[in-house]
Amino acid sequence: MTTFRFSLTILLTCITSSLYAQAVCLPAPRLMATMPMGGKVGSTFDVAISGQNCEDVESLHFSHPGITATPKIANGEPVPEQFVVTIAKDVPLGIYEARLMTRLGVSSSRAFSVGNLPEVKWNLANRSVKDAMPLALDTVCNAYMSSRAIDYYMIEAKKGQRLVIDCAAQGIDSKLKPVVILGDEKGADLIAERRGGLIDYTVPKEGKYTIKVHDLTYLGGPHHFYRLVARTAKPGKAVAVARMPSTRKVSACSWPPVGLDESNAVTETEPNNKHTESQAITLPCNLRGSFFPAADVDTFEFSAKKDEVWWVEVASERLGRPTDPNVVIQRVGSDGKMIDVAELNDIKSPVTVSSNGYSYNGPVYNVGTSDVIGSFKAPEDGTYRLQVRDLFGGTRRDPQNVYHLVIRQAAPDFALAAWALHMNLRNGDRNALSKPIALRRGATMAIEVVRVNRDGFNGEIELSMEGLPEGVSAKGIKIGAGQGRGYLLITAEKDAPRGLAGATIFGRATIDGKEVTHRCKWASMRWPVKDQWQEIPTPRLMADVPVSVCETEHAPLVIVAQEDKVIEATEGEKLTIPLVHTRFNDFSGPSISLRNWNSGLGSVATIEASLTADSSEAVLDLAAMKTKPGEYVIAFYGSAVAKYRYNEAAVGIAELYLKQSKDAATAAATKAKQLAKTAKTATPEQKPEADKAAQAAAEQQKAAEAAATAAQNRLKSVTAKAQPRDIVDIVVSKPITIRVKAR
Amino acid sequence: MPTPCFQCFWLTLLMASFFAAPASAADKPISFVNDVSPVITKAGCNMGICHAKAGGGQRGFQLSLLGFEPRDDYESIVNEGKGRRLFPPEAARSLILRKASGDTPHGGGVRLQKDSESYRLLKRWIEQGAPWGSDSEPKLVAVEVQPSSDVIPMKGSKQLKAIAKYDDGSVRDVTSLALYESNTEAMVHATDGGLVEVQDIPGKIAVMVRYQGKVSVFTAAVPLGATVEKLPPAKNFVDKHSFANFKQIGIPPSDVCDDSTFLRRVTLDIAGRLPTVEETNAFLANTDADKRDQTIDALLRSPQYADYFASKWTPLLKNRRDVKSDITANFAFHAWIRDSLLANVPYDQIVRELLAATGTVVGNPPVAWYKRVKDPKEQLEDIAQLFLGVRMQCAQCHHHPFERWSQDDYYSFAAFFSQIGRKPTGIQGEDMIFHKRGVATARNVKTGVALRPAALGSDVGEISADDDPRLRLADWMSSKDNPFFAKALVNRYWKHFFKRGLIEPEDDIRDTNPPTNPELLAALEKHFIDSGFDLKSLIRVMVRSNTYQLSALSNKHNANDRQNYSHFYPRRLQAEVLLDAINDLTGATTSFANLPAGTRAIALPDNSYNKSSTFLQFFGRPNSQSVCECERVQSSSLAQRLHMINSNEIKTKLATSGGRAQTLASSKAPLEERITEIYLVAFSRKPRSEELTTAMDYIKEPILDAGGKPIAESTATQQNFQDLIWALMNTKEFLFNH
Repeated sequence: MTTFRFSLTILLTCITSSLYAQAVCLPAPRLMATMPMGGKVGSTFDVAISGQNCEDVESLHFSHPGITATPKIANGEPVPEQFVVTIAKDVPLGIYEARLMTRLGVSSSRAFSVGNLPEVKWNLANRSVKDAMPLALDTVCNAYMSSRAIDYYMIEAKKGQRLVIDCAAQGIDSKLKPVVILGDEKGADLIAERRGGLIDYTVPKEGKYTIKVHDLTYLGGPHHFYRLVARTAKPGKAVAVARMPSTRKVSACSWPPVGLDESNAVTETEPNNKHTESQAITLPCNLRGSFFPAADVDTFEFSAKKDEVWWVEVASERLGRPTDPNVVIQRVGSDGKMIDVAELNDIKSPVTVSSNGYSYNGPVYNVGTSDVIGSFKAPEDGTYRLQVRDLFGGTRRDPQNVYHLVIRQAAPDFALAAWALHMNLRNGDRNALSKPIALRRGATMAIEVVRVNRDGFNGEIELSMEGLPEGVSAKGIKIGAGQGRGYLLITAEKDAPRGLAGATIFGRATIDGKEVTHRCKWASMRWPVKDQWQEIPTPRLMADVPVSVCETEHAPLVIVAQEDKVIEATEGEKLTIPLVHTRFNDFSGPSISLRNWNSGLGSVATIEASLTADSSEAVLDLAAMKTKPGEYVIAFYGSAVAKYRYNEAAVGIAELYLKQSKDAATAAATKAKQLAKTAKTATPEQKPEADKAAQAAAEQQKAAEAAATAAQNRLKSVTAKAQPRDIVDIVVSKPITIRVKAR
Repeated sequence: MPTPCFQCFWLTLLMASFFAAPASAADKPISFVNDVSPVITKAGCNMGICHAKAGGGQRGFQLSLLGFEPRDDYESIVNEGKGRRLFPPEAARSLILRKASGDTPHGGGVRLQKDSESYRLLKRWIEQGAPWGSDSEPKLVAVEVQPSSDVIPMKGSKQLKAIAKYDDGSVRDVTSLALYESNTEAMVHATDGGLVEVQDIPGKIAVMVRYQGKVSVFTAAVPLGATVEKLPPAKNFVDKHSFANFKQIGIPPSDVCDDSTFLRRVTLDIAGRLPTVEETNAFLANTDADKRDQTIDALLRSPQYADYFASKWTPLLKNRRDVKSDITANFAFHAWIRDSLLANVPYDQIVRELLAATGTVVGNPPVAWYKRVKDPKEQLEDIAQLFLGVRMQCAQCHHHPFERWSQDDYYSFAAFFSQIGRKPTGIQGEDMIFHKRGVATARNVKTGVALRPAALGSDVGEISADDDPRLRLADWMSSKDNPFFAKALVNRYWKHFFKRGLIEPEDDIRDTNPPTNPELLAALEKHFIDSGFDLKSLIRVMVRSNTYQLSALSNKHNANDRQNYSHFYPRRLQAEVLLDAINDLTGATTSFANLPAGTRAIALPDNSYNKSSTFLQFFGRPNSQSVCECERVQSSSLAQRLHMINSNEIKTKLATSGGRAQTLASSKAPLEERITEIYLVAFSRKPRSEELTTAMDYIKEPILDAGGKPIAESTATQQNFQDLIWALMNTKEFLFNH
């Protein structure tokens, strides 16, 4: 018994170790940081980049054509990881995407800001008041924070000057939770801002002031970057100051509604906290207000007729504010008493998002929001009041907490957001990875598309994608009526050429008899998070949807239908689809379980396909599945552990380079030896020249030997990386279209 | 088959006859509420450790605490226990009397002598058939102690009289049945019979008199009786009221302390650190008449003030690291407190932001309190104790024994926290907090009645479903006539600067625990309210007073004074302050995880650093488990002494590279100057001539190696400097704020 337990323990330990030895998802190229993180419009400057899986960087791209980059050249050679970036004069101020084109294709994005102020880079030595870096007012400083450190800056300001100190960090993809403290000349704190807000300070006396920046929990590193500016502003706190630009959360995908003219909104007028102070409005209504001061309530009064249905939408969280709007609609009774008609709250995600549980159990992308979309039906002709509150605003006093209120008659519509699919790939998998659409040859990548309904629409939405590179195609598994999500499957052919293109995802629906098409917003993780318990994933919306194909690698396993055509079938028949497997890597385990997404076809049985065979079969019993006539897209997916070798080609190159380096070192040594000998036997007249030549040769020998050592190290490094590694990833077959005819 | 209950039979028979025939005059009906219950209470049967013990009392016999629930007690005595507790045919054989008189073994010992009036009363009551009484009998409305106040000389005594007052206007002398409790046993003792015996410590005393849920307080001044002739100038109302008290009690105060002592004291008390040598020299050289006030203002402006007082508040607000991921919430919460203090945000505003916090922790850090304190009952109890000085815990289950708080008070207070909504976040254990629309109520678990919010008996008006009741509670707290809010804070801060609260414990404010100087407490309260709850203004008025600036050295009269502040009461430096002071003295630093080099111990954001620092553990840094300041241990221990004398940590600090010992040993400055520097750092004063001579002689002493040969002079000098610093570090003058 004891032996058995002991063996079991060892077995479990081995299983656990083996599970956790597996990495999750094949390497994807990721741009981790740029320095600086932005620049002044109409300027040219150097940008250093750092990435993950980003060797052989070919180019640096931006989401605006007016921002261009060329490799930095020094001594006729490109400087590794350096570019010269030019921002054209006509590029609008704002935030853009920067990406690399690498061996593996297009990288994940990093936010890149374009402003109109001079820009500088910080120096690493500003770790005390004594070493504070002088920072001119109205100048943006690009910096990154070190661990357990505080960066010090020194500014000079005049009495009465209004300073607005802004620090962009999380809004430009940084991991930094910035704390900004304004201190006196000696560094003694005067005012601190730790919630990502502004410091708005009127200078009491002329002189020097310190600005201290650090992370809330003193974390640091190159990924904790920030852009700091101390701007001068017009005196008077009532004069609003714009923040540095920021990326948008995923929930913002549903704002604004199509056709809304935000600039034409009426303004909320205080006092309107109490019912007796209600602000009169007429429906429909487009209004802008703020949750200010603390515990602000905005009350609006309007008339409505019996059975009229009005839709109410409030945006505030989607405008980037940390708010939770709440709407209460009441009817004014004949006795003046208020009678509840409706209470409207959050917009829920139509799919279950990650619970941050033991293992991955849903997307960490949340199109839901604390904002409001809802309707009410007037029970009688009469006077109604609508109150808007911020449920997070009981004690906060921030005039920047604005909202937009729209009351309209039903205008059914939808908004879409999409992201690269992840699924539970191993026991305890808590990955939330940034996944660029960088396709390996033969790969099919699954994209999860989620909708947000507006004003009662809940119909079917067809998905499609345009602007793909050569050799790449996409098919959509539609979002069915009443369902929250669909899928897009993007496939690179096995022989697709290397390419990069800016694509667009569309959703198309028929609403009230009219065909409506909307662009789907693309979202991605800012950072590849390997453990959601340790680091909270922070996805955001992206400005564009680049798709690339790399030629250097294939998908480990490519599964396609034997015939690349629309498969015709008749209602009620048993359909057999032969599948062809092409392996480019070895795999752990004997087989892969292939399931498929709900495509409307019906429930398809899981296929146990061999990981060593070259084919398999999908048998669809259309009678049992009760499949109705129509056209369906299906794809089979599962997970498998590949014996993946990273950048095998680099080994050969490194070997070649090592051989060349060694040869060069040998030649240099021979030459040095010879010249040393010559110098020894040289005549006194020849001696100085001979010594000089021998010295030069010795130095060349030293350099050549160093180069050989470096080449040796590089070979060692790339060889180690190219060793087979167990990596579990999603395997998706190329989508198959089935047309079912009526019997 | 049920066991026949013969006792019940007898009782029924007897009761039938009792109700059939009117009682004779000698057999005047005895009331359970007005007669029996007081006897049981006086005998101690219904104490918390006896039959009022929660969860069944003792051996199945359960009584309510102190007789607060007489109906339950009646049921328990008369009808429960299968009726065996009473035997009316032969009352003396009733179990309740046999146990209480010791006829039958009783874990609680003999509670009633057979010849006592109480025993006879109980026996008569049983003989009468154990009646409940009638609805028309008078009801107790108050108990009055006579006299209510007095002046008693040291070693003197005073007999109190307890008078019960009933709703029909009748009164009754209940001196023998009332309970008496002294608020300070070291100063006064009260006997069972109500005799107050004063000890030999002068000051104010109080004795609580309790009778059947009603309380009254006797207060007395115990004068020393010395003539108070010499008083320092009264700088403000603190002095006015303190000096009046000195005169009333007859305690001459000590002299005002010297400049060095003041500077060190006030710097430690406000900024939690030693003054620097530069500050000391500048202060001593300053000839301005108001230089002490200048220093106070400078300290209140300094970030260390905010750091130090944040270290006072964050443990009380349970900023505790239970899991690694708490770090962000804890750092944010600590910083919020610290920044609020730095910006001198009015106290009522700080409390409001905490109490009614909504949103996410990073967006609104006081939300972190709701992460730590999730149970609504714990929320109300913490808020009441911390910000109102009221301990409500008892009232959850029964009427508060020393107070007027009932279970209705408890649950109507809990109702303020009944509409807190939570939404999950991506961080484990962390919620977003919001007001969940709805009318706030909380159910009294005993009566089942759903109660609307009320603040300790105060009506806060109708709260609509849309309004967050916590905001109404905050409004009530910060109203000018709130009897608890300002008082609790000024008393807490007074204790910070004067070692002892005007009310002790500082968070147990109740009618039955009167302040030692009520006029002073009231004046401080008024000042605080009038200033708009300005914490810095409150501190300023306290430390500017000559009462605060009195010497710690006693005169021939006031050495025993423990509550009149006639001299400064020295206190050991708190754990964090002491660690920083040792670092300042030795020139060492302590490295704390996740924090930049040079972070001072008073700036530590949460309790997690206690685990890695034996120093902080030994010297009692709190672990943020309790809302009580008593969690910070200020008592001495052997471990503390050994750590200071012989620990590796202290040795390492003394020998730290680039530290003070090494720097001074290699300095070319005159030896006198170098020694003076150490004294200035440690004590904020220059060495006295004999100290200087001793120290100079010691520094020059050679040190012999194992072979008896002198070691290198430079090494010996450094070692001697280390020894000197070590010696000063272990003096009371260093370890204490005095």
